[in-house]
Amino acid sequence: MSTYFRRFYSSFTSHVVDIPPRLLAFLLFLLLLTFPVTKPKFTHLLLLALANTGAIFAASWDLLVGRCGQMSMGHALFFGMGAYSTGMLSIYLHWPIWVTIPLSMVVSVLLALAVGFPCLRVKGPYLALVTMSFPLITTGVIFYFKDITMGERGLSGLDRFFPFLPYEQQYLAQYYFTLLLLLASGIILYKIANSHTGIVFISILDDDVASKASGINITKYKLMAFAISAGFASMAGAVNAHMINSANIGMLSLTTSFLPIIITFWGGIGTIYGPIAAAYILQILDRYVLTDVVPLETHWHMMIYIVLIIVLIIKWPRGLARYTTDELEDLEEARDIDERGPRIWKKYKKKEKK
Amino acid sequence: MAHGALFMLGAYIYWILTASEFHGVPLEPIQLHPGLAIIIAVILTAIAGMIIYKLTISPVIEDLIAVLVVTVGVVIILQETLIIEFSSKRWPVVSFTKGFTTFLGVKVTYSELLAFAVSLCLFTVLWIFITKSKIGSTMRAVAQDREVAMLMGINTDRLYTLTMAMSASIAAVAGVLITASTSGFAYPHMWDTPLYMSFAIVILGGLGSIKGTFIGAFIIGFVEMAFIFIMSALGISGAEFLKGVVAVTVMVLVLLIRPKGLFGKRVEMED
Repeated sequence: MSTYFRRFYSSFTSHVVDIPPRLLAFLLFLLLLTFPVTKPKFTHLLLLALANTGAIFAASWDLLVGRCGQMSMGHALFFGMGAYSTGMLSIYLHWPIWVTIPLSMVVSVLLALAVGFPCLRVKGPYLALVTMSFPLITTGVIFYFKDITMGERGLSGLDRFFPFLPYEQQYLAQYYFTLLLLLASGIILYKIANSHTGIVFISILDDDVASKASGINITKYKLMAFAISAGFASMAGAVNAHMINSANIGMLSLTTSFLPIIITFWGGIGTIYGPIAAAYILQILDRYVLTDVVPLETHWHMMIYIVLIIVLIIKWPRGLARYTTDELEDLEEARDIDERGPRIWKKYKKKEKK
Repeated sequence: MAHGALFMLGAYIYWILTASEFHGVPLEPIQLHPGLAIIIAVILTAIAGMIIYKLTISPVIEDLIAVLVVTVGVVIILQETLIIEFSSKRWPVVSFTKGFTTFLGVKVTYSELLAFAVSLCLFTVLWIFITKSKIGSTMRAVAQDREVAMLMGINTDRLYTLTMAMSASIAAVAGVLITASTSGFAYPHMWDTPLYMSFAIVILGGLGSIKGTFIGAFIIGFVEMAFIFIMSALGISGAEFLKGVVAVTVMVLVLLIRPKGLFGKRVEMED
């Protein structure tokens, strides 16, 4: 027993404690894990739980765009489809939550394959625009089938996660559940991004003609990235819908499509761990600083974020996470490894050297 | 992509210049003739287009993803500004002329006819400009390969600014025409329907082909109208919500069967 423990400890020190960014991530996770000790209000717990799902959503977008280069501006499609399919299954068929969420993921992956196959024939900006039109169309379909989808009001009264617990403890359980879900999906996404498949994704990002010439079936890999990303996005949407007890049109709006973009550009595109950290910053800024400290109308929030995004893209395109890890490690090699990331950052680096 | 914003900006400027009152404040003294208002709207939107280009697009022009994010960001900023300033209400817009005529048993208003004539003229002028004039051929050269065009001594930055101003003014004209002739309202979400319509049209017609765009627009328009007509003849209500589905279905079919579109020449596609 003690040898196992010692082995675990030594592998832990060599894999986590000795590498400052991982130690930082671990400390952040510990902080989030012990946050409920401070006895926060349960609304704050709900907000952090929502930040967890937002982080999954943003990380899934980052895998698709930051690592594979397939620009999607309609990621709300998968988020909203996840929410709506789990909502419909649990309201009309009364299936338990643990069945409907995986089913909604399956629905979204199938939808992603159906949408992705024609869409991935176009590249770059055209792909972004084509994907952007799909959530708008889906909104039209939802309005058309008003008697099933409830139109503008949206589905309400979805099941809660842990209905057998007392009311206050439900929020705590939800928080821990989403935190573990975030940890699991974050690790899975990070592992995918750094596996052999992930290297193929990066080759498609860098030069798809060259990777095609090297004998890679790029359609297959693009579809794979699309499907993985859609699966995680719909999981985030479904969990989100069950936490706020409703699935509504707002989940399919352009604002929702832009949410992962905002988070990812703050955190650092192409890092996977960057968006996860930035999701908390956005949520704290959105629901605490801009509502409690400096109360502003919600329309102003979006404007502030977008202005920040534009300034960041122009002036500081590496994002928060890369900046932090560089400051911590101060290693040239680490920067070279990170150069596998998006083109935006390379351009910036060239400028820096001059 | 900032065209959604410019389209909307044109329509709003036209609306505020021709409106008779706003929030009870009478605007009669500065109310302008629609013809004058459209010219002012076009000029202001062109200037706005140039400013947007200089401030946001020009620093990141090398990266397409960044350009897209930035331009969609501009659209959202404008949308939120309009919501804060004018609320998300639908504002009625003055149409050019009153009255209608009957053509083949269909009621057609004069302002719709005027819009048709203006867009036809614009199309012809644009086509001649791009294919025949020197600036037009420079534009095509830059579109083909920016770096080589730069090596040939073309001032790409100035050309982009000019192109932006031109397309901004065309977008403003489109915005004014659509609000003043068909929809009749200006509202902050007015840019999304024309947006996906235009992508369906451009993909159907083929990227980089103005002739294809023209024919594609007619095909999409007719298919949509026929769909709504058939649905209403069959007694199914609410078909207008499915209008976009038709456009996107056409787009997906085109992408599956003939990915370069009807008249596409440039190979921007994967295979």
